[in-house]
Amino acid sequence: MKSLLTVGRSVAPIYGVEKATGTLRFPADVNLPNMLWMKILRSPHAHAKILDVDAAAAQKLPGVVAILTHNDVPRVLFGPYQNEIYPLDEEVRFVGDTVAAVAAEDWNVAEEAVRAIRVTYHVLPAIHDAESGAKPDAPDAVLNYPEAHEIQAGDIRPEQLGTFGNIIGLREGGPTVVNERGDVERGLEQSDVVVERIFRQSEVNAVSHEPRACVALYENGKCTLWCSVQDPYRLQDSVARVLNLPMDAVRVVATNLGGAFGVKVTGRFAILCALLARQTGKPVKIWFTREEESLDSHNRSALTHYVKAGANKDGSLTAIKVRTFLDNGYWPYGGLGQNIAFAICTRPIDLYHRCPNVKWEVFAVRTNRPSTGPYRGRADAESHFPIESVMDELAHSIQMDPIEFRLKNRIHEGDDLCSAPKKVVSTVWVEEAARKGAETIGWERRASLSTSSQGARKKGMGMAMVIHSCGSNPAGTSQAEVTIDSEGRISLFSGTADQGSEQQTTLRQMVAEVLGVRLEEVGGCNADTLTCPFDSGPFSSRTVYATGIAASRAAEEAKRKLLEGASLLLDEEVGNLDIGINFVWARSDSSKRVRLGELARLAGGSISGKGIYNGKNDQLFAYGFAAAFAEVEVDVETGEVKILRLVSSHDVGRAINPMIVEGQILGGAAQGLGYALSEGFYFDPRTGTALNQWFLDLHTPSILDTPNIEPVIVELGEPTHPFGAKGCSEISYVGVAPAIANAIYHATGARVTELPMTPDVVLKALQDARRSSA
Amino acid sequence: MESPEFHEITLKINGRVHQLSIPSNWTLNDVLRNRLDLTGTKRACDYGGCGSCTVLMNDVDVYSCSILAVEAQKKEIQTIEGLGDSENLHPLQKTFALSYAAQCGWCTPGMIMSAKALLDRNPRPTESEVRAALSGVLCRCTGYSSIVQAVLDAARVMRGET
Repeated sequence: MKSLLTVGRSVAPIYGVEKATGTLRFPADVNLPNMLWMKILRSPHAHAKILDVDAAAAQKLPGVVAILTHNDVPRVLFGPYQNEIYPLDEEVRFVGDTVAAVAAEDWNVAEEAVRAIRVTYHVLPAIHDAESGAKPDAPDAVLNYPEAHEIQAGDIRPEQLGTFGNIIGLREGGPTVVNERGDVERGLEQSDVVVERIFRQSEVNAVSHEPRACVALYENGKCTLWCSVQDPYRLQDSVARVLNLPMDAVRVVATNLGGAFGVKVTGRFAILCALLARQTGKPVKIWFTREEESLDSHNRSALTHYVKAGANKDGSLTAIKVRTFLDNGYWPYGGLGQNIAFAICTRPIDLYHRCPNVKWEVFAVRTNRPSTGPYRGRADAESHFPIESVMDELAHSIQMDPIEFRLKNRIHEGDDLCSAPKKVVSTVWVEEAARKGAETIGWERRASLSTSSQGARKKGMGMAMVIHSCGSNPAGTSQAEVTIDSEGRISLFSGTADQGSEQQTTLRQMVAEVLGVRLEEVGGCNADTLTCPFDSGPFSSRTVYATGIAASRAAEEAKRKLLEGASLLLDEEVGNLDIGINFVWARSDSSKRVRLGELARLAGGSISGKGIYNGKNDQLFAYGFAAAFAEVEVDVETGEVKILRLVSSHDVGRAINPMIVEGQILGGAAQGLGYALSEGFYFDPRTGTALNQWFLDLHTPSILDTPNIEPVIVELGEPTHPFGAKGCSEISYVGVAPAIANAIYHATGARVTELPMTPDVVLKALQDARRSSA
Repeated sequence: MESPEFHEITLKINGRVHQLSIPSNWTLNDVLRNRLDLTGTKRACDYGGCGSCTVLMNDVDVYSCSILAVEAQKKEIQTIEGLGDSENLHPLQKTFALSYAAQCGWCTPGMIMSAKALLDRNPRPTESEVRAALSGVLCRCTGYSSIVQAVLDAARVMRGET
């Protein structure tokens, strides 16, 4: 791979110093003079109709400035896809749903006012899990929603979708999505071995450490919001719609977020904050409590998968049959539930492209739970646990090495994709990732590992193979602008928030490389809708890929203009010119040169280039691939699982900044470890009340639970990206749970089919294994 | 519940004395963030569960969300703002900033203050001592390895070894 000036180097993150000195202003750190505090009254019922709201007593409390109920807000759809129903509605659809909002002079008063509001509810029947909700006679989880809505983004072609009972889909009684090819029943019948299992995964919360905040300022007919959102342009659009303002009268700033992981999107709280700012004429701030951050979010769905899969003794995969029930919550992230359903039943099938017979149905079911949505590793964390567990068991049944079995059936470069119709996959470095990961963990030790087990503590090793989006998603658009001012200073304007991935560092490295300047010369700003061009946002690990392409194109255009300007001035052909350290030089005569700032001055003060990326019409589709490896020690008496080693090996195309790439892999794998072993978000099955919405009860891994995870990077390039990069922030999450489950199976012969794999779940699997072998 | 009474209190923060009138139910965290604009100290869990709000009180790392402001009187409080600034970084701030041990940056001030308390009492910690000392602060982004390394590196710098 060509050695470059800045790309490929582990330069320090641009926001590092501000983060380490505590001077970085997150939305929650914005305090304005005369600011009011907003608090939300939340529903105690899983499903109810509001008959009456009496806010008179609350309104009279000293310090209360304004109260909004469903009678006071515009009946306008909003949300990431403009299909969430009204900023406040008369129907409440989960415990914690928004009923009313108060603005007061301090939060003590606002809280008191919230408690003083009297609401009369008519309680309605509620749905507490997907499978009950899918029954034909089940009551409706949600009564009031837009009749039908168009899918505006994602993997499925636009369709008018309806809701049949609580199942979101295209036809009565049918699944939300089905992925079918060949004849799955015949395929299973003719298989040498068949494995059948039921898998259950708990709902999980992203547990971003920054609770969502919004500060809204309304003056001179314009509204400015500092808000914890990954999609500032969609929030801008929603605020403009609800407040009936032109888009240019709304500004959203979301430069830095304290973690987001896919779920910090346009929400009710920010819309209400803007409405209150307009009504009161004062700045208004809301900052969620942890309880609110847990409830008023988008969690990873609870899932049940009924899986049957077959293989022949020669190692060929013959059939995969799955029926998945997905708990969508009250409202699947503005309609994205369908897209998650689609990706669940297509991506693993693309990974095992050689499998001829497939039928995978997904039922996305509306329930009276908080919303679900695309949390890190979206759709693939949901699907890989069952599929990679079953792959492991099939390999075991035909006595084949689990790596070789997977590689025999894997996708290859140029294969067509069922997850992205009419597109073919670009590079596939999954074999290289699997081999390098195997070498790192010492896969050859696996056969003799059991001999080092001591007493009740059994050792084992397992792996999982992974496909996940790396930015090549036709749903998104990214724009970027690169300017050179008369001082010669280069600025990158990008619409992406930094939620911790330090993408601005990586993007500026690409811009510096294109322009042939030092990284220190590149500055800029990000995620401010007033100054930065549109970006769909940092979702699905898309920034380095999609925004990276846009930023590189912008830099190319700026470079072209610089060279053309210099060509006229120096009377040299463009082809004979080079940029380096603040100057354009003539290659033949280094005394012929001109400062970049001078070129900008001659052009009227500034030179700029713009770039855009939207992959809709590209035929090549880039995917990220990975392999996760776990070595574990299982205590068969207590059910405790100790992680001895965890290796996360990745096809990243090319690491623009290896330190950041490795940091993302480590962080994603650590979150995946939580999903595997400890994290679950639980609700009372009768009332729908959250049982563990507080921080410690969500059991995210601590420093004592997390081993030194070993990242492995495979850099073999990706031709659709100017520097060959693939996004990799999410994918490391996905393989951890199945790799650990497979390691437990190897250690003990017990197949764990539930997440999280807490000691009680592991003990139950051990009992089941003993019973079936007896 | 009635609105809380106000108290006149005196706090010493980063060497400066502040005289304040605050509601009796305000925590030290509330005062730092909302009265003194010392927003480097974060809040994430509300109840002493995550460590994002860690500050030093008489050189001991404590959760500022779980200490009432009235209790913090007559104590030396140090926050991340008192440790160093961009012109004059503390070795911990430097190693965290340069090595991507601060990803989203939300837990970082708490991590650094907790690490400072450790290094002040034990300038030569082992990896497991670092892990034990920081176990009261949770991080969601890094997977912790880079944080442990940043603390060990800063300890070396503070001992004058590099």
